Amino acid sequence: MGKKEQKKEKVIPFGFIPNREGRFQKIGGKEYLVMNDAMFTFYERSIGEFSPFFVAMRDEKTILACKCTKCGIVRCPPFVTHCTDCNFAPTESVEVEQTGVMLSTPPVTYFANSLFLDKAPFGRGRVVLKGADTALSVMLYTTTGILTPGLIRKGTEVKIIFKDHRIGEISDIFAVPLSELSPKLASKKGVVESELNWASPVEPKYGKASKEEAAAFKKSYKELESLAKELNKSKRARKAIEGWKRNVAVKTKSGQCAMIINNGDFKVKEGKTPKVDFVLACEDLKVLLDGLNYKGAITDSVVTKKLWISKNIEFNTIFKLDRMARSLARERKERGA
Amino acid sequence: MGRRVGIVGAAVTPFKSKWYEKTYYELAQMAVRDALKDAAITTKEVDAVVYGIYNDIFERTCIPEHPLQGVIGMQNKPGLRVTNGGATGAYAMSAAHAYVAAGRYDSVMVLGVEKATDCFDFTSMSSTPEVIKVIGWSGDSFFEQKIGWTASDSYSEVILAYMDQHPGDLKPEITAKISSQLSLQVKGNTFAQRQFDQCTPEEVMNSRYIVYPLKELEICVYSEGAAAVIFAEENTAKAISKNTGQPVIWITGMGEANETSFAGKNQNNWGRIMSHHAAAKMAYKMAGIENPLKSIQVVELHDAFVHQLEISMAEMGFVPIGKADSLVEDGIMMPGGPLSVNPSGGLIYCGHAVGASNIMSAWACRNEMIKKNYRGGLVHGTGSTICQYGVAMVLEHE
Repeated sequence: MGKKEQKKEKVIPFGFIPNREGRFQKIGGKEYLVMNDAMFTFYERSIGEFSPFFVAMRDEKTILACKCTKCGIVRCPPFVTHCTDCNFAPTESVEVEQTGVMLSTPPVTYFANSLFLDKAPFGRGRVVLKGADTALSVMLYTTTGILTPGLIRKGTEVKIIFKDHRIGEISDIFAVPLSELSPKLASKKGVVESELNWASPVEPKYGKASKEEAAAFKKSYKELESLAKELNKSKRARKAIEGWKRNVAVKTKSGQCAMIINNGDFKVKEGKTPKVDFVLACEDLKVLLDGLNYKGAITDSVVTKKLWISKNIEFNTIFKLDRMARSLARERKERGA
Repeated sequence: MGRRVGIVGAAVTPFKSKWYEKTYYELAQMAVRDALKDAAITTKEVDAVVYGIYNDIFERTCIPEHPLQGVIGMQNKPGLRVTNGGATGAYAMSAAHAYVAAGRYDSVMVLGVEKATDCFDFTSMSSTPEVIKVIGWSGDSFFEQKIGWTASDSYSEVILAYMDQHPGDLKPEITAKISSQLSLQVKGNTFAQRQFDQCTPEEVMNSRYIVYPLKELEICVYSEGAAAVIFAEENTAKAISKNTGQPVIWITGMGEANETSFAGKNQNNWGRIMSHHAAAKMAYKMAGIENPLKSIQVVELHDAFVHQLEISMAEMGFVPIGKADSLVEDGIMMPGGPLSVNPSGGLIYCGHAVGASNIMSAWACRNEMIKKNYRGGLVHGTGSTICQYGVAMVLEHE
C-alpha cells in the first residue's frame, strides 16, 4: 500500500477496532468468558435516485428538491420520485435556496453515539429552506463556541454551509444561524466551512485572586482531596472510570491542581502535572467540587460555561466524572450516609 | 372482531444492565419456562410462538429467533419474528392476538428477548455509546444516520416541537416529579434493573443533560432480559384459569398506527404524536371505551422519556393536549389519584430490553389488575424515529 493510499480516510477508523482476545468476568464466584468481537459488513452502496441530490451537493454546492408536477409541493430532501398526495404523479428536480427557517426548536446532543463523540455538542434539526415545503434534517453548529439550548429555536433563520472536503453524503453540509454571518456570506451561495470565522477555544483568564479567594481554594482543594479518597474507595465510582486514563490539569483563579484518572483509580494532586491530556478551567474550584459531589452536573457546568474544557472530545471524560459522582451518591444513599 | 382472547400466563427474567452469565438463548428459555409454569401448561399445549426481537446487531445474528425454536421446545410449530423498533414487543402481541382472534391457533406464546449491552465501544471503554450507535443504524440511512441521528435526539425533536406549541407544559419540575414517582413505584418490582434507585425530584433536576431537553434520570435505561406472555382463545383460557385459579385478563382492544418520518407540509403532524393517538382511538373503539380515564385504572406506558410519557398520555386521551402537566398538578397519576401509571417503574426504572419491554409492560399490567382488582388496563408501545410507531392494547378483568 502506497503512502498516499494510507492517508485516505477509512470507513472504519482504526481506533475503533479492538484486539482479537477475551477476558473473564467473575460473577458470584464463577468466571464467565467475554470475547472481543465485531459484526462488520462493507458496502458498495447504491445511491440510486438520490444520486443527483448528493452529487449536486458535492460538486455544485447546490441543494436540490423535487416538485410535484400536479400539486406543486416541493419536497427537500427529494425523498420521492412520485407525489404520494397526487396518486403518484411524477415529480421534477428543482433547486432550492440555501437559507431557511427552523421548523421547530432543535435538540442539542451532548452524549453522542460512538461515531460522533468527537463532534458533540451539536444540534440536529429540521430546516425548511426557501423554496421548499418540507424540512431537511441538518446538523447545527454555532460559530461562537459551544452550542447551548436556546441559541437556535423554532423560526431561527439558518444558512447551509458546505464542508471544504465533500464526499457526496448528507454530512457534507451543516447549518449555522444566519445572524452569525457577515452580510456578504449571508447572501452568498455555496459558503464553505473555511470561509466562516470560527471562535477558537481560548483558555479563560481570571485575573489575580484575593486573599479570601486563595483561602477558599485551599479549603475546596482539601475537600476535593478527601472526596477523591472516597471516590477511590467506591466500587461503583471506580467502575465508571474503568479502562480510562486521563491526566487533567484543573486551572482556577486561585490555584492549580490535577485529576489523575487511571483505570478505576482517581486521585488529585496539588499544583502542575506533566503530560496533561486536557485542561479544565473554572473560576472557582467549588464548581468542580459540587459536580463531583452530585450537586449539579459537570456536563451542565460546561454547557453553561461555568467550566471550560480545552478539547470538546473530552466531554467523554466529563460524562465519566458525572457518572462517578452519581455512583458515589447512590452508594452513599444505600449505606444511609 | 373475531374470537375473544385472554392472557393466561406471563413471566419476565430480571432486567439487568448486563447479563455476563447468560446468553439470549438462556434468557429466552427462562422467561418461557416461567410463563408456562404460571399457566400450568407445557409447550405441547402451545400452538405457535411470536418472537419480539428488535435489533439483529444486538444479538449478533440476522435471524436471532431461529435457535430459539429448539431452545424453547417449539419445534415443528409456527414461529414468527416481529421487529418494529421500540414497539417490537407490542406489535408481537398484536400479531399473536390476531392469530388467536382469527381462529388460526388456540394458544400462542409471545416471547421478547434482547441483549443490548454486549455492544461495546473500545474508544470510550463503555457500552452505552455503542448501544446508541447500533440503535442509530435504525435511523434514515440516506439523510439522517450520518449526521448523528439517535433515538434520544429524534424523540427530543417531537418533544421540543410540542413545547414550541405549548410553552407552559412539560415543566422541568414536573418531569422531575414524574421520574421521582416512577423511582418510588419500582421498589415493588423485584425484576427491575433499578429497583433500589430511588431519586428525589432535585436529584433528577441535578442529573446531566444527555440530549437537551432530556436529563439522564428522565431517560429509559438499556437492559438485557426476556419476557413472555401466553394468549389463549376463550374456552382454552377459561380451562387454564380454572386449573391455575388465576383470572383471565381479556384483551378487549387493540390498535396500531405508524406515521411518516418526514416533516413539513403534508407530512408528519409536527408537535403531535399521532401514532399514539390513532392507535389508542382504534383500541378504545374496539373495547367500547368512550372516556379512558373512567374505564382504565392502570396504564403500563412505554416511557422512553418522561416528556414523551406526558405527551403520550395526552394523545391517548387521559389529559388535554397542552396540559399534560395536569398528570401531576391535578394528581391524576400521583398517589391517591385515579390512575396508576407504570407501577412497574416503566422502562426508565425497570429497564428497556427493547423486544421484551412492552411484553414486560403487559406482564406488569396483568399482575397489577389481578392484585388490585382493577377492571381496565392499558399497555402502550412506541418506536422508530420521532415516535413514528404506536400500539395500544386494552385489557379487561371481569
